[in-house]
Amino acid sequence: MVRNLTRLSLVAGLMFASNSAGSDFETKVRPFLEKHCLACHGAEKTKGDVDFSLFLSMADAELHPDLWETVSLVLEDGEMPPEDERQPGEGEKAAVLGWIEGEFFGEIESMPGELRPRRLSGPEYRNTLRSLFGFDLKVNIAEAEQTVAEKSLVLKLLPTDPPGASGFVNDTHGARLSTTIWDQYSYLADRALERYFAERKVSDAAEAETLVREFVPRALRRDLPDDRMAEIVRGLEGRSGDDLAEALKEEFKALLMSPAFLYRGFLMETNPERERQEVDDFELAERLSYFLWEDMPDEELFALARQARLHEREILVAQVDRMLASPKSRSLAESFGYQWLLLDQIHHERNDPPYLHALRTQPLDFLHYLFTEDRPVIELIDSEVTFLNALIADFYGSDRKQLEKFVKPKGIERMAMPLQKIVLEDSASERGAGILTMPGVLGMNEGPILRGTWMLRQVLGEHLGEPPPDVPPIQASPKGMDLSFRERFEAHRADKSCALCHDKIDPLGFALEGYDKNGGVIGAGQSIGKKKKKEVGAPGDIDTSGQLPSGESFADFEELHQLLLTTQREKIVRNAVERMLAYALCRKLERNDRPTVDALTAQILESNGTWRDLICGIAESVPFTECRNPDRK
Amino acid sequence: MKRNWNIDRRHFLRGAAGALVPLPFLNLMENAVAKNLAGEAEPPLRFMTLFKPNGVHPPSWNINGGTEFDFRMSPLMAPFAKHRDDLLILDNMGDFGFSSHANSARRFLAGRCDNTKTASVDQFIADRIGGDTPTRSLELTTEGLFTNQIGCSYISYDEKGDPIPRESDPQLIFDRLFRNPMSDPAQRARMSSLLDRVSDDARALRRKTGREDDETLDEYFTVLRETEQRLETMGQAASAVRTEFSKLERPAPAANLNEQVETMLDLVALAMWTDQTRCISYMLGNSNSRMIFDFLGVKEQHHYLSHFFRNFSRHNIDGLLKISLWHMEKFDYLLNRLKSYKDHHGTLLDHSIVLFGSGMGHSDNHTAQRIPIVLAGKGGGRLKTGRYLRYSQNQDLSRLHLALMRNFGIDVAEYGGATEPLPGLDGGAFDEYRERPFESWTKVEGGKMTVQGRLRMSDNLDEAKVFYLDVAGQQPVRIEIEFKDFHDFNFPYHVGTPIRLTGTVAEKDGRQVLTKISDLKSVFGNSKPNTRNG
Repeated sequence: MVRNLTRLSLVAGLMFASNSAGSDFETKVRPFLEKHCLACHGAEKTKGDVDFSLFLSMADAELHPDLWETVSLVLEDGEMPPEDERQPGEGEKAAVLGWIEGEFFGEIESMPGELRPRRLSGPEYRNTLRSLFGFDLKVNIAEAEQTVAEKSLVLKLLPTDPPGASGFVNDTHGARLSTTIWDQYSYLADRALERYFAERKVSDAAEAETLVREFVPRALRRDLPDDRMAEIVRGLEGRSGDDLAEALKEEFKALLMSPAFLYRGFLMETNPERERQEVDDFELAERLSYFLWEDMPDEELFALARQARLHEREILVAQVDRMLASPKSRSLAESFGYQWLLLDQIHHERNDPPYLHALRTQPLDFLHYLFTEDRPVIELIDSEVTFLNALIADFYGSDRKQLEKFVKPKGIERMAMPLQKIVLEDSASERGAGILTMPGVLGMNEGPILRGTWMLRQVLGEHLGEPPPDVPPIQASPKGMDLSFRERFEAHRADKSCALCHDKIDPLGFALEGYDKNGGVIGAGQSIGKKKKKEVGAPGDIDTSGQLPSGESFADFEELHQLLLTTQREKIVRNAVERMLAYALCRKLERNDRPTVDALTAQILESNGTWRDLICGIAESVPFTECRNPDRK
Repeated sequence: MKRNWNIDRRHFLRGAAGALVPLPFLNLMENAVAKNLAGEAEPPLRFMTLFKPNGVHPPSWNINGGTEFDFRMSPLMAPFAKHRDDLLILDNMGDFGFSSHANSARRFLAGRCDNTKTASVDQFIADRIGGDTPTRSLELTTEGLFTNQIGCSYISYDEKGDPIPRESDPQLIFDRLFRNPMSDPAQRARMSSLLDRVSDDARALRRKTGREDDETLDEYFTVLRETEQRLETMGQAASAVRTEFSKLERPAPAANLNEQVETMLDLVALAMWTDQTRCISYMLGNSNSRMIFDFLGVKEQHHYLSHFFRNFSRHNIDGLLKISLWHMEKFDYLLNRLKSYKDHHGTLLDHSIVLFGSGMGHSDNHTAQRIPIVLAGKGGGRLKTGRYLRYSQNQDLSRLHLALMRNFGIDVAEYGGATEPLPGLDGGAFDEYRERPFESWTKVEGGKMTVQGRLRMSDNLDEAKVFYLDVAGQQPVRIEIEFKDFHDFNFPYHVGTPIRLTGTVAEKDGRQVLTKISDLKSVFGNSKPNTRNG
């Protein structure tokens, strides 16, 4: 909040300056960089992987909005240039900050991104095939409790998509099509078509035409022009029996292997005369359904797209509500939430599937509840509700009494069990910080440094560089001194270049030291070995106090939690907005998305907005509903 | 036992015995025939293993008494008893003491559970014989990974002793073996016309969108071009040698575990016969399988039932025996398939060695003794079948593995601690177990009968609560007792051993039946064992 105000006042103050012709980058910023930065962040030395020598013009600068945001933060906080280097004058500094907040970010026009075609991700492709054909392609493997197997043939055969620049796997812009993927697409299409036609008899041209008219638009996720459709139908004329079925199969196979099916965004008509335009309703339907369902649009969305009414505000909002109520919206938790919060890293030394299932399902059930039951965004880190089953109920004291008795069938030794919603009472003080105090999430990162880094990056949205490769190991206590890990670590990071990041990371991580490596509360009679007890002493001896870089200090995690909900609230909400917008757009956010992020953040902060509010806001936003047309040479 | 799971049998490969097979296969078989040392044509030798999860229920599995040529197959062996002349039933196999499930899986093909740094025996064999075939070896299974003890999920290990990934889906295996898109001319032609078709579409798209410099479409066109090139290269390489498999019908998806396993066994036999591979390992389940055999009407997990003392009830024993019989029937099914493929040298089974069994004996006690091991097939004359070999001393499985390796011409001095191969497989001398002699007789006194003889379960496991005492020179004495007596006198423990039993006699269907027990004495052993000893 504090920072935001500064930013606003700077913007206001410099507004007139940037109205003059040309960019201040060459005249104000470039000289500053040469004088104060290039020695360490230039062509020869590129500390922290930052190389300012590559930025010669405003056009270069525009490619990396993240970087200028970071520059603004480190200059304001006095982190850079380092204390022992020559310091810039206040005027010089203000000019650069002014350029960043003013010309670079301040007056950005909200602009949509280009309509860039994007290949379906593995889960999107699986779900699309399922919806298109009405069945799942499954792996034949016997089901048994406590065993792990990939049951989707699609996910088994396709290589796992790497996360794109946005951090999400639906951002497939960087995941190139390869011959390996091509072969698997071909195989999967054959398998699906084989089954599809085994279940259908197509005996004459009329039946074939019906099938084509039903299948083709759904596969392409939009209506085809009449002449194209007629062309396909004509190709089938004069055929019958097996020959007709073969011809249909070939037709559909070609469709399933075409870029129009495998990618999104090829078929919408654009108007090259206009710099930007609203996307048509078929494209909007697709955007909405891949965002909320990770799947192709259903009949209702298609019908509204055909009537060109989906973009109408009330209809759009009603569709969002309908879609959130559908079981398919679980993908928001299982793909968006899972990838955002890195929940794949939840593990346990006892690699027991029912127990891991409980640890992993808890945050997913919780996120699904937040996303689909109109819960405030901030409840991500502050909620009275959680989800439990008997396997993880020990972490929740007497709150476990709320669980209904689950009776295992006779003859089943261990099994994955559903989780049940409970209201935190007894365990509210230890477990009330939402995702932050779930045992699986706490156990996911070992030690205060990794825990702090995770919270800083994933929850507070800070862009941290990677640690330098040559970090010396933490020293043992000198003889005769019994120093805790924290004391030894503090000695270690006396080095200024370490402190730059660790001042932000460590207070968050050490505040969680009251939780052991499995996420149990130390001293609550939970999993804590003798050796460790000796090292940390009684729970009261654990130092969980700290101070944020912005100055606020706290005595323990509960006080930190309060700071997160107040002084850090804007950061947390902004991060949630950015992550969800990037997921919805399937791309990294750009400079022109900033106004959308700012507006949505402000709206959520003002009214304690919910995830549904955010989703509706995204669905109506400029980058979601419009596209920019590339310059045509 | 009711065979109610045999619904809707698919015949896609099952009719494919000799006469029905397309001609090219026969030619293929001719090609595969090599000359042996004497200059005679000799078909290739194949190796396959079938792993049974969760050990065995010894009272129904073990052969009681019996010698090399004179033995009575046990009730559990009934499903494959008709193959007796093609079998070598091994007894007293194992090392000692307690075996975990993960250990038992390793032991099955690596000889000992601590033999963790070398390949399992099937991989040694695959290295030796797999080079001439399109697929070196197949490692198959039925269920997912048991991640809590990952060793339960693997029997095949590579040269570093690391587990080899397994495949469970028969359709994927069929496609891998017989539908390689690049090696089949018809499929290549289809792909080629598809490429023409989609590149036309993509070009139209490029014109329409006006994206002349679209990277995404470039990437797409690159893949089309590369695929076109691959088709050409493969076409040239493949045209001379490939066999036409397009007449083979692809198996339908399996509706239940029984279909999944039978389809896979069909493929095992077909893959061997068409010489697509010569070495296959197949797990009927993880070594601690939690599978549920609902198609047999059994609702409890297999592992739960396999602890038949810990989870003791008449109902549970019945469930366990149903599952065990099903395993035996799948072994029988495999042997039938292998026998159904003929060439002018005999059957496929004649030129194969099949290893069936487990890595653990008693499934409740987890003993590593009397592990069920059966060899099938004459191995091209290398094995002398139709015999029961009960060794006087416990024999490490590694000795068996060493003997198998020798049969495949693999010359290693030592495997899993064994330096001497297991004797007797080829009909040579071995140290046979000697029974202690005892007398058997019956005596009736005042309405009570006392019988001394060897106790066994009924051959019919549908009436698994019926026991018999074998008495020399007369009809066996039938025992039909209440659950209380069965439990109090611990009948399963004494099965296979001589006992002296006193009880009340009743006449049923014209024969004397013992119905109520008043005393049980073991002739040589402990009359009142701890119930946990089984």
